[in-house]
Amino acid sequence: MTRLVRAEWTKLFTTRVWLAMLIAAAVLTAGFAALMTAFAGNPDSGLPPVGTAEFEQTALAQASGATILTIILGIIGATQEYRHRTATPTFLTTPRRGRVVVAKLIAYALAAVPFAVVAVLVGYVTVVIYAGARGAAPSLTADNLEVMLTSGLALVIYAVIGVGLGALLRNQVGAIVAALVYLFVVEGVIRSIPATSGAYKWLPGGGLEAMTATVDGPELLGAWQGGFLLLGYGLLAALLGTFLSVRRDVV
Amino acid sequence: MGGPIDDDEECDIPTATTAATGPVRVEVRGLTKSFGAVRAVTDLGFTVEPGQVTGFLGPNGAGKTTTLRMVLGLIRPDTGTATFDGVPYADLPDPVRTVGAVLETAFHPGRSGRNHLRVYCRAAGLPIERADEVLVQVGLADAGNRRAGSYSLGMRQRLALATALLGDPAVLVLDEPANGLDPEGIQWLRGFLRHLAHEQGRTVLVSSHLLSEVEQTVDRVVIVGAGRLVREGSMSDLRAGADGAGTVLVRSPEAGRLAEALRADGVQLALDGTALTVTGRTTDEIGARAFAAGVELHELRSRTSGLEEIYFQLTAGQGQFAAPTAGTAVPEGAAR
Repeated sequence: MTRLVRAEWTKLFTTRVWLAMLIAAAVLTAGFAALMTAFAGNPDSGLPPVGTAEFEQTALAQASGATILTIILGIIGATQEYRHRTATPTFLTTPRRGRVVVAKLIAYALAAVPFAVVAVLVGYVTVVIYAGARGAAPSLTADNLEVMLTSGLALVIYAVIGVGLGALLRNQVGAIVAALVYLFVVEGVIRSIPATSGAYKWLPGGGLEAMTATVDGPELLGAWQGGFLLLGYGLLAALLGTFLSVRRDVV
Repeated sequence: MGGPIDDDEECDIPTATTAATGPVRVEVRGLTKSFGAVRAVTDLGFTVEPGQVTGFLGPNGAGKTTTLRMVLGLIRPDTGTATFDGVPYADLPDPVRTVGAVLETAFHPGRSGRNHLRVYCRAAGLPIERADEVLVQVGLADAGNRRAGSYSLGMRQRLALATALLGDPAVLVLDEPANGLDPEGIQWLRGFLRHLAHEQGRTVLVSSHLLSEVEQTVDRVVIVGAGRLVREGSMSDLRAGADGAGTVLVRSPEAGRLAEALRADGVQLALDGTALTVTGRTTDEIGARAFAAGVELHELRSRTSGLEEIYFQLTAGQGQFAAPTAGTAVPEGAAR
């Protein structure tokens, strides 16, 4: 299994997708963190002012916005085998295909850790500099550290979800579009309609919000419960993918 | 040719190396596969022996690629088995060291040829240096650092072959490997495959839709039509049966008289003015008959080789087009 994980890392780091995603994650995190800081305390924005614990936790959680990038990274990692038809040499090398899926889950989860560290640190540095300039740089309180940790973990778990989703759907463009539409449209609707909002906390978006949200919203699970819920979704997709999709004929 | 890197670099044929595992026999038994309502392969069985190059022949759509993918565990057959010394591909303890396969050319266009090979070195637990060794073997050493997306068709075929050679396998399976190769590359490939089989005792199975493409390379043939086996045997047997099976073109001012003489012998022919197209007789036999009948000849030449004719007859009507000559043809998709 170690060699299969290393093979997946070789695949990941010998094309430029990871770098593009890392840069995008850093830019996205820095941008959102700066935006939060800029409008902190602005009465129209509803954001708490610089220096409060609420502001700091909100601003430091912005790395979680890059979950959209780690899920895409995972989707690409799983679906590129079909898109570029390398599923053939991959499954010739490893005829027990379930092992390939497991190796991808492990490889992308581990590769997402430094990715998450970079994104969270970029967010932190942005807030320290900008909020510091506005009067109060956040310190590393326990609450601040926790929100940074859960944001980073969310990035890692979303990479796992991406691999599982990609293994299940096989089609790269289809899987990315499905993920974006679901996360940005479907969940938004479910969250806002009273009849369905009770189910929201059990959905992937609800799990993410449970992990990272700091402002008041709908009823949610605890942060750690949300994390396990998300991980469960990722592993469920991977399991379904292994039995329904990955085992299908490679023609 | 044009640049320093092209399809026609010098290639080192490996010399003293032998396969990591001993000789391996491939046995295919009763393979059947349908895709929806379309029957692709029906009760197909054959054997591929070590130390020989076996040609897997048939018209396009005859089920060759489907069969090879079933042999390699990529497609699950409805019934039947394919084994390597008795072991199905999926159960091989070390598939890369036992079997190497060249199917379609599959790689990420943004990854260099060398890194593509390194991925499979890692996955198979092979030393990473094998990537460079096989690049030299197939003549891609200078192109290893280039993105595979920039490779020519011939270079892609060579990269696919390099991938197959990584594990120094006892069995090599190649699906239409000559596609995209220039004449020099094809010549090189023929020598390479013969060397792997004859000198190193490996088992080589190579598919083609053209007999002429492989007739100088292969020792045995497995011919399929419409997903069924139509002929399995040695190339020399096929040649022996093909003597005189070709068509011969004859031009004569007395074509009608020669046609009568030949028809009297029960020879099949077509008469068109002063031209005769004769099937099933050699030029020698027709020349002798003309001489005996006192007919003047202006031209006497072989139009298609007997081998091509035999191949055509074996596979005609078995592909997508029903040929009038094939009385035994089974319509495609017909269930039995």
